[in-house]
Amino acid sequence: MMESYDVAIIGGGSAGLAALKQLSNLGKQAILLEAGKQVGTKNISGGILYSKKPKTGRVYNVEDVYGPEFLKDAPVERKITQYMLHSTSRNKVFTMNLTAAHEYQANFGYSVLLNRLNAWFARHAGESAERQGGGIVSGVHVRSLSWQGDKTVVETDELEPFEAKAVIAADGVNSEVAEITGSRPKFTPEQLYQGVKVVVKLPEEIIEQRFGIGPDEGAAHLFAGDVTLNHIGGGFLYTNRDTLSVGAVYHYDSLMDRPAEPYTLVNALLKNPMVAEFVKDEVAIKEEIDKNLPKEEQLRVRFAVSKLIKTWNELRDVWYSPAARKKLVEAGKYKTEEEIKARLDSVQNELANKYHTKFVTDYVELEYSAKLVPDGKRCAMKKPYFKNVLFVGDAAGRGVFIGPRIEGLNVGIDDAVRAANAVARAIDRNNFGPQYMGEYYSQLIEESPYTRDMKEIDKDYVKIFLDAARDVPKDIIGQRYGMVFRLMSSGTLRGLAVGFANILGYDKLLPLVESEDTYVQVPVELAEKMGRPIQATYEPTLPTVAQRVARLKYDDDRISHIKVLDSKSQFMKKMVTLCPTSCYSMEGGDVTLQHEACIECGTCAKETEWRHPRGEKGVIYQYG
Amino acid sequence: MANLNVAVIVKLEPDFSEGNVSYNADGTLNRAETKSILGPHSAVASSAAFYAKVRYGASVAVATMGPPIADSALQQAQLLCDADELYLYSDRMFAGADTLATAEVLKTGISKLEGKMDIVFSGHRASDGETGQTGPQTAWKLGFTFLGNVIDYDVDMQNRIVRARRMISLQGFYDVVEEVEAPLPVFIAIDPSYKASFNTVSQRLAFEKYQKEAKERAQNYKQYLKVFNAQQLGVDPKLVGLPGSPTIVYKVERIPKAKASRRAEVVDGTNREQLAKVATRMYEVVGGMVIK
Ligand SMILES: Cc1cc2nc3c(=O)[nH]c(=O)nc-3n(C[C@H](O)[C@H](O)[C@H](O)COP(=O)(O)OP(=O)(O)OC[C@H]3O[C@@H](n4cnc5c(N)ncnc54)[C@H](O)[C@@H]3O)c2cc1C
Ligand code: SF4
Repeated sequence: MMESYDVAIIGGGSAGLAALKQLSNLGKQAILLEAGKQVGTKNISGGILYSKKPKTGRVYNVEDVYGPEFLKDAPVERKITQYMLHSTSRNKVFTMNLTAAHEYQANFGYSVLLNRLNAWFARHAGESAERQGGGIVSGVHVRSLSWQGDKTVVETDELEPFEAKAVIAADGVNSEVAEITGSRPKFTPEQLYQGVKVVVKLPEEIIEQRFGIGPDEGAAHLFAGDVTLNHIGGGFLYTNRDTLSVGAVYHYDSLMDRPAEPYTLVNALLKNPMVAEFVKDEVAIKEEIDKNLPKEEQLRVRFAVSKLIKTWNELRDVWYSPAARKKLVEAGKYKTEEEIKARLDSVQNELANKYHTKFVTDYVELEYSAKLVPDGKRCAMKKPYFKNVLFVGDAAGRGVFIGPRIEGLNVGIDDAVRAANAVARAIDRNNFGPQYMGEYYSQLIEESPYTRDMKEIDKDYVKIFLDAARDVPKDIIGQRYGMVFRLMSSGTLRGLAVGFANILGYDKLLPLVESEDTYVQVPVELAEKMGRPIQATYEPTLPTVAQRVARLKYDDDRISHIKVLDSKSQFMKKMVTLCPTSCYSMEGGDVTLQHEACIECGTCAKETEWRHPRGEKGVIYQYG
Repeated sequence: MANLNVAVIVKLEPDFSEGNVSYNADGTLNRAETKSILGPHSAVASSAAFYAKVRYGASVAVATMGPPIADSALQQAQLLCDADELYLYSDRMFAGADTLATAEVLKTGISKLEGKMDIVFSGHRASDGETGQTGPQTAWKLGFTFLGNVIDYDVDMQNRIVRARRMISLQGFYDVVEEVEAPLPVFIAIDPSYKASFNTVSQRLAFEKYQKEAKERAQNYKQYLKVFNAQQLGVDPKLVGLPGSPTIVYKVERIPKAKASRRAEVVDGTNREQLAKVATRMYEVVGGMVIK
């Protein structure tokens, strides 16, 4: 006898977890299957998690799903209170304050690291689910779905098959469920962004001083101009509690046109003098050990130095964190906070004087990651279901990405609640038919304000940008956008212009708005003519891709989860450049794959047989 | 009330893992310096009992004979198998026990447990100078069917039968797998290679649930702990401790360490030149063999 459950949720990202929590809140039984050994190890984001309050209609926010606990207890990083857009050209930067755009229709936006946050979601959703006879099963990779009567048989690489009455596909941008069911074709480069990110270490109070923020505040900085290396897209830098998220999100088709290694785009950002100054820190550099010393002595010195540097790093983190300082004193480890500083100085002196360790200015990278992002405007599924399978979040191609606005997390959570509501209603009626459940879900999705955002220009949002650009001399952007500006600066005309644009169709408008002009040329011109010069005080040492990969954790699978179909295709040749971890190389005239360093971004999925690795296998992110 | 009752007998042992063990000058174990832990074979036995809990909702008891600090072995075992009850049999009178005298204490303890035991698990053997006899002797004293070297087992709850696979050597062939069936109650000495696998959704969910419970319980393990001395246990003094032991271990020899004939050299992995040197050396050693 096959086991049977009401609902199977495939994928434990923030969308799948919200679906589980909401179903449990409604008293329904659901099982969530996640490929990663622990929930959160496969997810990455920029990321700012928003809670929104749209002018019309309602959205389901994270705190609606998880309750007041979320605000009290969830491991969010910082509440973003400053939102800046920088146009860059060489060492010049022109800055616009776009905090109003960030606050537009928002309750809040927190910077988050998904590894920790999704683990928290999992704990709460898992506990609620358990009470309904469901729960989370991690380390399990769903391989196929089939139908027996009106029941779906879920097959995994690890467990015996089981049945479900309804399925929620929350398996992300590279959804295998979409492929298995044939519900939508694989996304094309025109519909996708490639996102690449590094997490940088920086002590808490240094962040606060440098960004001019309080202990409970955070800053978001966005970059366009020459840092894009002439690609369509831009860079971001978000402050976390004691790290920074620095990343780049680019139109995938722009990268296809002129392939660039993804890490060069992040590197360009890190090399920008403004960003370099943001990420810089004091770094200890080990002195080469005197090779003439006896072997044992060399080992002893190596050990002592490593240990001291570790202590120095830890003490520094403590010294720059009020909470950590207080904790150490309360624990009786130090009598006063000053004593911590004294100890820190003495460790530093010992390193410098006894072991000739140098202390230099550089930056410390903790994690490199990458993933595709579906552009909701171009690829949101028109019919987000197949039989009794409902698609949510990235799997459904849903997300609001307009200018600097990057919203996938909140959209996925809103989708998940709608899917859960539709499923709960179907359980009550014991009717999982496409008319009763799928169509109803479709309708709920259609009502979502986010769906509206994926289809129409919001004139009030546009106005914020126009207001921010008020001081920009019209001649700079005059030639290209003078007409638009004139139309847009008056309230009535703006309404008319947007109305007209929307009649013309968002699809036709997008290539005009999202162009090299807007992301590269205009910002460069702005920076050149109006920017202030910024001089970097050092040159960051950028890790190679091999060093970045070496720092990641993997559970290697000897079997490759990706199969190259045509090793001579143009697409595959571009992957040699576009794979963020350089898994592809040319051998003779053929593209060959070494899958071991794969971080499952999906960039090569279009023309390969692409699966997620088996349960527990593959990359294990620590930050996300 | 669970309708399967299982018990595990475990042992606190010196931690023989590298860096933790310490010897006296004469080669005997320095017990004061060496940390004690739940023996690795006892840990495997505990995970076998956990399987019974996850699969059949078994009620699990863990028992050990030892000094008062042996309760830490019980705590570690509880973390592994989410034990419902922990039993420590501790008395000066038990000192100097060989396997037979130990089996006597364990048998008496197990017979006293509430609810008849259906399966008793033990490790393959202990790591500190033991011969792997405590298990079989306890089984014999209990009058249970003994299944040794079990690598895998399941219980047919309806017919109350255990189906087990055992690793045996047969007519000169090693590692032959034998499948056996036996009616409950049985005594299972678990093979070190045993690894529980859970392959249905409900088992995985139960696994998560009990694992979480185990963490909470092990934190407050004293709440689950009962300690018995010889009198409370009601053992015959002639059958336990030194008087009850027909054998004594009179000498344990340390296996002499082979003199290393290799010399290791530490090479800086970021230095290309040094790496080239390593490659050349390896090439010399393997005699130009090409490994693809
Ligand atoms: C660089 C970057 C910056 C971003 N910035 C932001 C931002 O600032 N704000 C914002 O809101 N959004 C941002 N996004 C988008 C946001 O991160 C995503 O929209 C969101 O994480 C998607 O969540 P999800 O649950 O839909 O999918 P995912 O997080 O991708 O989760 C899918 C899960 O399904 C699992 N899975 C897949 N297939 C299977 C299978 N067959 N069996 C079992 N499990 C499976 C995977 O392991 C994974 O855990 C950003 C994205 C990137 C890449
Ligand atoms: S092999 Fe493909 S999925 Fe893996 S990191 Fe490279 S491009 Fe991404």
